[in-house]
Amino acid sequence: MNPIRVTAVVVGVVVLILVGVLATRDSGDDRMNTYLVGEAAPQILAQTSEGELWDLDNQRGRWVVVNFFSTTCIPCIQEHPHLVNFAESHKQDDDVRIVTISFSDTEAAVQEFFRLNGGDWPVLTSGTERVAVDWGVVAVPESYLVSPAGFVAAKVVGGVTQDYLEDLLLEARSR
Amino acid sequence: MTRYRWILLVAVVFGAIIFSELAEKPALTNADKVHRIADDLACPVCDGQSVAESDVPIAKAIRTEIARMVDEGFTDSAIRADLVSRFGEDIDYTPKRSGLTGLVWVIPILAGVLAVFLLASTLKKWQGGKPLKVITIKNRRLPVLVFVLGVPVAAWILIAQFTGNRGVNDFPTGDIPSSTRTLLIEAQTASDENKILLYNEVLVIQPSNVEALTYRGWTFWRTGSSEAARNDFSTAIEIDPTYPDVRVFRASQLFADGDYEEASENVIALDGLEAPPIVWDLLSNSKLRERIASALAAQGELVEALQLLDSGILRDGEDASLLAERGWLLANTFETNLIEAAVESLDTALSLDPMHPNALAYRALVRFVLLEDQQGAESDIEKFEDLINPPELLVQLLETQGLLN
Repeated sequence: MNPIRVTAVVVGVVVLILVGVLATRDSGDDRMNTYLVGEAAPQILAQTSEGELWDLDNQRGRWVVVNFFSTTCIPCIQEHPHLVNFAESHKQDDDVRIVTISFSDTEAAVQEFFRLNGGDWPVLTSGTERVAVDWGVVAVPESYLVSPAGFVAAKVVGGVTQDYLEDLLLEARSR
Repeated sequence: MTRYRWILLVAVVFGAIIFSELAEKPALTNADKVHRIADDLACPVCDGQSVAESDVPIAKAIRTEIARMVDEGFTDSAIRADLVSRFGEDIDYTPKRSGLTGLVWVIPILAGVLAVFLLASTLKKWQGGKPLKVITIKNRRLPVLVFVLGVPVAAWILIAQFTGNRGVNDFPTGDIPSSTRTLLIEAQTASDENKILLYNEVLVIQPSNVEALTYRGWTFWRTGSSEAARNDFSTAIEIDPTYPDVRVFRASQLFADGDYEEASENVIALDGLEAPPIVWDLLSNSKLRERIASALAAQGELVEALQLLDSGILRDGEDASLLAERGWLLANTFETNLIEAAVESLDTALSLDPMHPNALAYRALVRFVLLEDQQGAESDIEKFEDLINPPELLVQLLETQGLLN
């Protein structure tokens, strides 16, 4: 067989395989939106801005919205009133709790932000880098809905609205 | 001999490459290790920068995490696998050897083989179709070809195998062993049989894991293995008397065994602990405290029964169910001075939950039988009749007293 022809066939096969691989693999965006969903929620054990140790495992039996945030991120500032309203609407039933995990921020800035913008849920400010890595957070805001059994039921990359969170909760509860 | 020189040359060149790759490197400091690992991982949010180079917050956080893991003695491959499992295969500058990604290791070899093949063919053509001198050793063409191609291929495979300090027995990227915490969470939704297996797995990793002992005990209890359950609960309490979950399960087991005093002690111990909501929900939904108190009162231990209820009321003063039960126990003493306290307790329960079935039924009975307040009793009964699906036992109780038809 002509060596040129053999070479062409081999190169063609290799190129086809490469195209197949690249066309069928998950895109980074898909992974970013679904990572951890359906998995056991990674541990969260960090200090709140009030100096208390907060442990996600102590919330078993309740839905928990885990919100990664920074005072310097615009979408975080925009979603905050929605989180406040969401927390307020579930206060009576106490069926959902929110925890905010500040990422790459100063404690003073976080405290001032919550003082000015409201929100009386726990805000973790110390030891949060490890939590962010454990949860595979690449940029804030990111929010996760954790089921009463401790599984991640939903993930939102970017800002959330109250309605969107309610829909996620409704959908997760109906599963 | 001269014709073997080039074979020797090939062997020496590739032998040197393999040796340089696999030879023991000088010991690295932890900081060097951190830098080397960070340098071999792409920053998840930046273009073309490694974790070591980037200054974005997540890259800094990843560096901190790598440093922590290095300090704690994790191997390079474990650290890499952990981070790749969280941020995806894309951050790994050293692609894995398995699956389709493994092609990146194979393609260069194919390209090399192809290049040799093409070169040989071209040289053959230039020599007018005569066989190449280089491969004309009589009867040795095949072994020589195998050697010439085999050595580089073997060298490449060995280098690929060890690049990035992944040992042959290391787990491949992304496949990291489950932590005890993950196993415990997975056990929650597993079938009973799998629950036991998962808890066993946790206890092999960490024999003193009280959560695994407690929940394995509970699974044993629910599936009828009472003795195994008792052993697990006892061990868990021995290891950590402050673990709240085991107290409620232990109390439930003791109550079923008829040991009401011990059951009561475990619930009172639980009241002094910080427990997750699921534990209080379990205690409340099962009415375990009320049932233990009732059983204690029935065997004449009224003080212990009241202590148990008061302990719960002290923890949550707005628990209408406990207040109702307390009122009922006090009323059943038929002591005049306690009946007032009973009514007060029932009134508080109904002020907190005006349609609480037990409180309505108990107060109706107290009013009718002890206070001779027929009007008050009728008012409670009217409300009771409005309840949808009232507890059957309460209906029977009211019927025997002629308050319900």
